[in-house]
Amino acid sequence: MEIGLRLAVSLAQIAAVMGVVMLTVMILTLAERKVLGWMQDRMGPMEVGPYGVLQPIADGLKLFFKEDIIPAGANKFLFTLAPILALVPAMIGFAVIPFGPTMTIELFGMQVKPFVISDINIGILYILAFASIGAYGIILGGWSSNSKYSLLGGLRSAAQVISYELNVGLAIVGVILLSGSLSLVKITEAQAGGFWNWFIIAMPFPQIFAFVVYVISSVAETNRVPFDLPEAESELVAGFFTEYSGMRFAFFFIAEYANMILVSCVAAALFLGGWNAPYPGTILGHLGLDALAWIENVVWFAAKVYFFLFLFFWLRATLPRLRYDQLMRFGWKVMLPIALGNIVLTAIAAYFFPR
Amino acid sequence: MNVAITAQPKRKPSFSDWLKTLTFYELLVGMKATLKHLLNYKPITLQYPHEKRLLPENYRGMLALLRYDDGTEKCVGCDLCEAACPSRVIRVVSGEVPGEPTKRYSKEYYMDMTRCLFCGLCVDACPVDALGMTREFEWAVYDKRQLHLNKQQLLAIGDRAYPVREKRLELQHPNVAFFNVTFKHLPQKEN
Ligand code: SF4
Ligand code: SF4
Repeated sequence: MEIGLRLAVSLAQIAAVMGVVMLTVMILTLAERKVLGWMQDRMGPMEVGPYGVLQPIADGLKLFFKEDIIPAGANKFLFTLAPILALVPAMIGFAVIPFGPTMTIELFGMQVKPFVISDINIGILYILAFASIGAYGIILGGWSSNSKYSLLGGLRSAAQVISYELNVGLAIVGVILLSGSLSLVKITEAQAGGFWNWFIIAMPFPQIFAFVVYVISSVAETNRVPFDLPEAESELVAGFFTEYSGMRFAFFFIAEYANMILVSCVAAALFLGGWNAPYPGTILGHLGLDALAWIENVVWFAAKVYFFLFLFFWLRATLPRLRYDQLMRFGWKVMLPIALGNIVLTAIAAYFFPR
Repeated sequence: MNVAITAQPKRKPSFSDWLKTLTFYELLVGMKATLKHLLNYKPITLQYPHEKRLLPENYRGMLALLRYDDGTEKCVGCDLCEAACPSRVIRVVSGEVPGEPTKRYSKEYYMDMTRCLFCGLCVDACPVDALGMTREFEWAVYDKRQLHLNKQQLLAIGDRAYPVREKRLELQHPNVAFFNVTFKHLPQKEN
C-alpha cells in the first residue's frame, strides 16, 4: 500500500515533468523557426493558426501519419533501437533537475519533494553518463541506415562527442570543487543568496571560463549550429537521420530539443544559481507570502533556461558551420587546456579560501 | 601581363588582437547584427497566396495569341516566331486563306510551354504583333501535357489578358491580317 502510493506519486511527478518537457519541445520547434525568421527578416510559419502558433501540432500530426520506411539493407534491429536510444537518455536526465526550491510537502502521510523527481547524490554524473548513451543513438542510427550520408554523420558525431563530452565533464569539475557535492540540489542550494553567489562569478574563483567552455561544449554536444556537423544539411543531406521517416525521425527530432532543454537546465543549475533569484530570498517571501515563494523561484529557473535556449537560436542565426578540423582543433587545443587550467586554479583557490 | 602576387606581410598580432580573440569579439559583432534585426523586425516576406506582388509593366509572363478588335486573328502564319525561338517552343502550320492565294494564316499553332524560357524573342520577331506576353504566371499544373497549348488555348489566353484590342486596318482581309505595312494612300493605323 505504502509502496503503491509512493509509486503513484512518483509516476505523477514523472508525468508532470514529461508533460512540461514535451510542451517545451513543442514551443521550441515553433520558437526556433520564428526567432530564426525574425532574425533573418522573415516571418517564420504563418499558415496554421493565427501567426502560425499551431504549427507544432500540424508538424506532429504530419510526422505521426507519415509512412515509416526502413531502407533495404538496413540493420532492422539497430535501426529501430537507435531513435529510442537517442530519446530515452535525453528524457531521463530530467529526473535529477531541481526545478524549484527544495521543500517537502506531506502527501497522504508521505514526504514528497515536489520540484525534483529524485534527488540522487550523484545527479550530475548521472546526467553526463546518460548524455553519452544518447550519442550511441546517433552513431548507431548513422551506421545502421546503410547509407553513406548517415554513416558520415554518425562518424562525425562519434568524434565530436569524444572531444566535447570531455570538456563538458571538465568544465563542471570546477563547480563541483566549489560546492563540494555532485547533487544538483545541493549545488543549487550552495548558490543561494544573490547573484554574487552564483558560481559563474562566485568567490573564491569565478567559474566564468568554465561557463564559456560548458556552453560551447554543450552546443557541440547537442549537435547545434555551429557544431552541427553530424547533420550538416548542406553536405550530408540530413546527416545521421537521412534515412529516417515518420515517428522515428520525430524521435530524433524530439531528442535533439530535449537535449537542448537538458543542457540549458544543467547550465542554469550549475552556473547561474538554478532556481535562486538574483537577490537574496524572494520578493514574495519578503512580502510575507512564503507559501507562494516557489512560484518566483520556478519562474527564475524557467527564465534562465529560456535564456539559454534563446542563445541556441541566436547562435544558429549568426554563425556558419565549423569545418571538421577546426572543430577538432578548437575542442582539443583551446577548450581542453582552458578547462584543465580552470580546474587547477579552482582547486588552489578552493584550498586556500574554503567557502 | 604578369601580375606579381606578393604575400601579405605577416603582422605580429597586437595586444588588441589577442583581446579580441579571447573575448570572441568577431562573434559578438555578428550576434549583435542578428539581434538588431530581431529587435527592429521588418519582414520583407509577402504572404504569397494571400497577397500578391505588383508586377512591373514589362513583366514577361505567359504567351498569348492576339486578335483584332473585330475578332479576327492577327497571326499571318509567317513562321518568323518559330525561327526566332531559341528553345523551339513554337510550331506553326501555315496555310493559304481559301480563295485568296496571296494571303496566309496559321492553320495550326502549337506551343510547348514546358520549354519556354520567356525571353520574348518571338514577340519581337512577329511582324504583325500577333504575339503578346501576359502577366499570368500561376501556371503550375499536375500534368505537363497541360502545358502543350494549341491555337485555341493561346487565343483564349490572349482574349482574357488583352481585352483592349488593336483596330484592324481596312485594307486587311476580314479573315487574315496583312503585314503591318502602311501605305500613304491608305488609312493610317492610329497608334
Ligand atoms: S518567349 Fe522565347 S522561348 Fe518562349 S516561345 Fe518566345 S522565343 Fe521561344
Ligand atoms: S511571327 Fe507572328 S504572324 Fe508570324 S507565325 Fe508567328 S505569330 Fe504568326
